[in-house]
Amino acid sequence: MTAVDSPTTRPQAAGGVTVQKPAAQRPSRRRRHDALVPWLLTLPTLLVLALLLGRPLYRMIVLSFQNMRLRELLTGVAPPWVGFEQYQKALTDSTFWGVVGRTAAFTVVSVTVSVLAGLAVALLMRRVHRRVRLAMMIAMMFVWALPQLVAAQAFVWLTDSDFGVLNYLIDKIPGVDYANHSWFVNPWQGWTLITVLVVWAGIPFLAISLSAGLTQVPKELLEAATVDGATAWQALRNITLPILKPLLTIVTTLSVIWNFGLFTQVWVFRSGHPEPYFQTLATYSYTQAFGQSRYSYGSAIAVITVLLMLGVMVFYIRQMFKIGEVD
Amino acid sequence: MAARQDDGVLTVGRSRIGTIFANTGGVLFALVMIFPVYWVLNTAFKPRDEVMSFEPYFLPAHPTLDNFVSAIKAENFLSGLVNGLIITGLAVAAALVVGFLAALAIARFNFYGRRAIIMIILCVQLVPLLALLIPLFLMLQGWELTNSLIGVALVYLVLLLPYTVWTLRGFIAGIPKELDEAAMIDGCTRPQVFWRIILPLTGPGLVATAVYGFIQAWNEFIIINTLNSPAKQNLMAWLLQNQTERGTAWGPLMAGAIITSLPVVIFFLLIQRNIATGLTAGAVKG
Repeated sequence: MTAVDSPTTRPQAAGGVTVQKPAAQRPSRRRRHDALVPWLLTLPTLLVLALLLGRPLYRMIVLSFQNMRLRELLTGVAPPWVGFEQYQKALTDSTFWGVVGRTAAFTVVSVTVSVLAGLAVALLMRRVHRRVRLAMMIAMMFVWALPQLVAAQAFVWLTDSDFGVLNYLIDKIPGVDYANHSWFVNPWQGWTLITVLVVWAGIPFLAISLSAGLTQVPKELLEAATVDGATAWQALRNITLPILKPLLTIVTTLSVIWNFGLFTQVWVFRSGHPEPYFQTLATYSYTQAFGQSRYSYGSAIAVITVLLMLGVMVFYIRQMFKIGEVD
Repeated sequence: MAARQDDGVLTVGRSRIGTIFANTGGVLFALVMIFPVYWVLNTAFKPRDEVMSFEPYFLPAHPTLDNFVSAIKAENFLSGLVNGLIITGLAVAAALVVGFLAALAIARFNFYGRRAIIMIILCVQLVPLLALLIPLFLMLQGWELTNSLIGVALVYLVLLLPYTVWTLRGFIAGIPKELDEAAMIDGCTRPQVFWRIILPLTGPGLVATAVYGFIQAWNEFIIINTLNSPAKQNLMAWLLQNQTERGTAWGPLMAGAIITSLPVVIFFLLIQRNIATGLTAGAVKG
């Protein structure tokens, strides 16, 4: 079953007939005109991006060197220039470093668990009966289709301390008292729940992409290896994973980018008021700006966040070029 | 045995017990994955006393539609629905028109700066829009576009545009260039090639991209929640408001969640084949 089929890689009809390029015979005036066409076509996109993405990006950087508070927002007075003060404030603040460490730790753990789980599910899908595989696909499709907010709210309800079904089920285990258990008193438990939600929501994309990738592993190769006495683990390590590597790299990178920006799940679980130990870089920047009216400080944190992610983004783009998707 | 092999499933060196384990694991996985979705549905159809029960009802004993009625009658539901449709419609339409032109340029022309534009599109896709929310908020306020549908639609346009360009590029590149060339030899002009060949053949791609854009814009709630007051928000933001304000009314909330996600889920299931394309295409050789 190919869940992911790419319109870009459809086999082109290789006719063997070389079409003579008519462009070679055209007058040069037409060619000069042709050189302008692609730019005219991309102009609207570039304008939109410049105005609504480039400009805010520039303003965010400027803002991070100023001190914009509620007073400046309401009166329209130009905020004072303070140089690196906001950055200095962030970088010397242990709260900020706590947020950075927490976000990084969450990213590492959640991405590792998600990718391993996704891979396991993808491999499992190859071994099960056709009907079981269909059931797995259907379940994953529904999870994937669910809006992030709704998924998060569903989890809040499942883990409700009084009427949540999770506490009820855990309470059924002999010797465990989980009636009225509150999951967010202990930060470790709260973060476990957030991670479970993120992994649960992330598995469909990972498992379905990877299982599409697995169809590219030649069956003959695996069969030959098995006949030659390779164990399942050896076949996975030496045949399947090397073939899957480019795809694995891409989905892992994307997961890092997405999970590093964790916001919705925390926001919904904590009803818009995350306690200090549930703050991530995204929620921290947001609450500083829109909760405390420290627009400049929030911007400085956002700039630092983007800088921290830049390495991963560059890696992703290089990977896309390497794979040859971009030609 | 033969039928099994047709599935593309490996049969050599697989034990019977292993297969039973795998199938059991697969079924368990499917059940665990779907359970939260099931619980949303289950809760939405339960009367209040069955929702607020220490002994949970795994099936509604007295199924009811009351929760849906009270969700629809709740404050700002209808305005949220209308606002969401307007904003999403504007953003998707604008992204398609603007994005299609750029996709055409990237897919069909070889020009100086093309690689740079591709780089920009790819980079922009990764910029967390949430990080830009502070300056966006200040900019829109300067243009007096906060608490307006147009302002949010503009932000959503940026949210959708990179993906739109990237996906449409793929669809256009999938149309053989020889078709353009043949048409031009037969006397078609460039605009005619566009109208008669590329546009009709990209039709399904345009639909898929529009639907994906709809899902993205429909699901967004942080930006609109920050820029607009409740009366000018969409259904997702309405849902968030409902959770924080009436935290314990889980029946109506879950019913509202179903209504809000229904269009998205249906659309998603319709175009699921194309969803991952823009992100991992090329790594999966079809």
